[in-house]
Amino acid sequence: MPIIIFPVMGGAIRISQESVQKAIVGASFAVYTDDEGFVTEAFLEYLYRNNTVVPIEAVSLEDALRQFQETDSSALIYIPRGYHDNLTQSMKGELRVYANLRKLNMAETQSTNVVSSLINIYNYYFSINKIGRLLEQTGGLGTPEAIRSPISIRYASILKGTVLDIPPTSIISLVMSQSIMLPIMVIMMVMFAIQMAATSIALEKEQKTLETLMTLPVSRLTVLAGKLSGSIVIAIAGSVSYLIGFGYYMNSAFAFVPEATTMSIDEVSVGITPFGMLLVGVVIFVTLVSALAMALSIAVFADNVRSAQSFTGILITPIMIPAIILMFSDIDMLPQTVQWILLVIPYTHSIIATKAAFLGDYFVVIRSIAFISVWTFAVLYVAAKIFSTERIITAQFSFGDLWKKLRRR
Amino acid sequence: MHAIQAVDLGKNFGSTQALRGAGFTVNENEIYGLIGPNGAGKTTALRILSTLISASSGRAEVFGFDVARHPEKVREIISYLPEEAGLYQHLTGLEFLEFMAGFYADDKEERDSFVEEGRLISGLGERLRDRSDGYSKGMKRRLLIARALMMKPRLAILDEPTSGLDVIQSVHVRNMIKDYADKQGVTVLLSSHNILEVEYLCDRVALMDLGRIVAEGTPDELRARYGAKNLEDVFMEVTNHE
Repeated sequence: MPIIIFPVMGGAIRISQESVQKAIVGASFAVYTDDEGFVTEAFLEYLYRNNTVVPIEAVSLEDALRQFQETDSSALIYIPRGYHDNLTQSMKGELRVYANLRKLNMAETQSTNVVSSLINIYNYYFSINKIGRLLEQTGGLGTPEAIRSPISIRYASILKGTVLDIPPTSIISLVMSQSIMLPIMVIMMVMFAIQMAATSIALEKEQKTLETLMTLPVSRLTVLAGKLSGSIVIAIAGSVSYLIGFGYYMNSAFAFVPEATTMSIDEVSVGITPFGMLLVGVVIFVTLVSALAMALSIAVFADNVRSAQSFTGILITPIMIPAIILMFSDIDMLPQTVQWILLVIPYTHSIIATKAAFLGDYFVVIRSIAFISVWTFAVLYVAAKIFSTERIITAQFSFGDLWKKLRRR
Repeated sequence: MHAIQAVDLGKNFGSTQALRGAGFTVNENEIYGLIGPNGAGKTTALRILSTLISASSGRAEVFGFDVARHPEKVREIISYLPEEAGLYQHLTGLEFLEFMAGFYADDKEERDSFVEEGRLISGLGERLRDRSDGYSKGMKRRLLIARALMMKPRLAILDEPTSGLDVIQSVHVRNMIKDYADKQGVTVLLSSHNILEVEYLCDRVALMDLGRIVAEGTPDELRARYGAKNLEDVFMEVTNHE
């Protein structure tokens, strides 16, 4: 399913974004002027050269606005009286842009932005031209660009001791886009696995095959191992299909966005080394085993698939919350109390470890693996205890029963 | 050696006493029946002997293996059919038999022979190639009994083998069990509400009530001992029910 759903979602977003873009590109602008003079004429010529501009002949602004609303144009550029005079006298010339919001959609807002960009470009070259002529007249030193904007900033970043001529924001956005995928993958896998494991044991109860299974000549621990490994295989297959679908979705959905940077992870020397990848593999494995063992232990108390899924819903919450928080922020950035709460949740360490592996902080990764492993052994011990005793057959829990007991008390 | 030796078995579920010192012995190659009303403790006794649950008191041995201390040894020689057993619905009847045979067989040849045996016992013919979710209740039960007997266990524990079946299916299943036990020398321990069924099938029976064995013997012995026409009357007599 995910391999179909995500590409379809991506395709749908891509189609909608492309149509917005097409609407922006194809949008026409109306122009109405109350002014005369060569500066106004030059501006109008610039507009006519760049876009589909509809000139409006009207007797007043009100009349122009009425006519503008009857056209397909999305914005009206109004040149008020005095524009030419102000600019020739080195004063500010004012333009007004009216956006016609017919459907209140993104294309309408974007077309106003396009008008603003056009005017800003004209504004820049007009000022540069003017400064150049003033410099000629006064015989002053310097360039028009330097006078207009005397300070320029060149960003560089220091990464792992290497100085790179790349703005830090570009590196961070690149790293974030990659490092977010790893926690998503881990969470997808864990959630898949939990559902699989819980369903597999609850289905045995629902279909009345569990008792037969438990009297077969295999040890209970083998049954537990079989359930764990089966769920791991399905979870990995499910996650891979999720990732393929999700990757296509991201590519499709954001295909319209112009490339912000042509950098690759290798160029900025961040990314996962083979050793880091190995550690991430270990993190994913221990996380999966503990989540599965917990799901199996909990699902034993359900007598059908529906109850098992509601039980595992409780289990998924403490996995999702740290994942969402840590996807966009760092643990050290959070308030102390929140940090402690998150650190108590074992699955927080899975997210921390995958992010740390990406940044090459292997000490943090190994520390997290140790923590999750201890937790995994504890959960496995509980699961093995449940499987090797009659609890696997007799255990039963329902929220309804609990509520009745509480009411009785 | 006895096939089963249950001594003073007790089982508590919270405050409920399901078994109160039940004891009985099953000889090798015999069909032994536990009869009693609902709640008599029959299923609890069978579940203890098949290692599903543990006794709160007393002890039980299957062919010399203590069920509490050597459950894995016991599971190698028994086959248990629960009263409400089900099938894996996505499997065909044949796939189900193959899957189950795989747990007992040492190699493919042995597995195939178990499956062939199961195919014959079930009598389902070509329908074995259909998915089991399309089977009637009777077909499912026949397949489950075939599963329980196909690998010739030393002890087959059958909980209400004809539960929910119509007369024709019940007769078929009874004959299946009797023929198979006679021919293969399998020891069978079964439970039932149906006293006629037990009289027909069993070499010896134990009457259970309120977690205890209240009488034990061959059907003839019990009828003679209590001067009753059938086991139903014996049961009413020993339990003082009117």
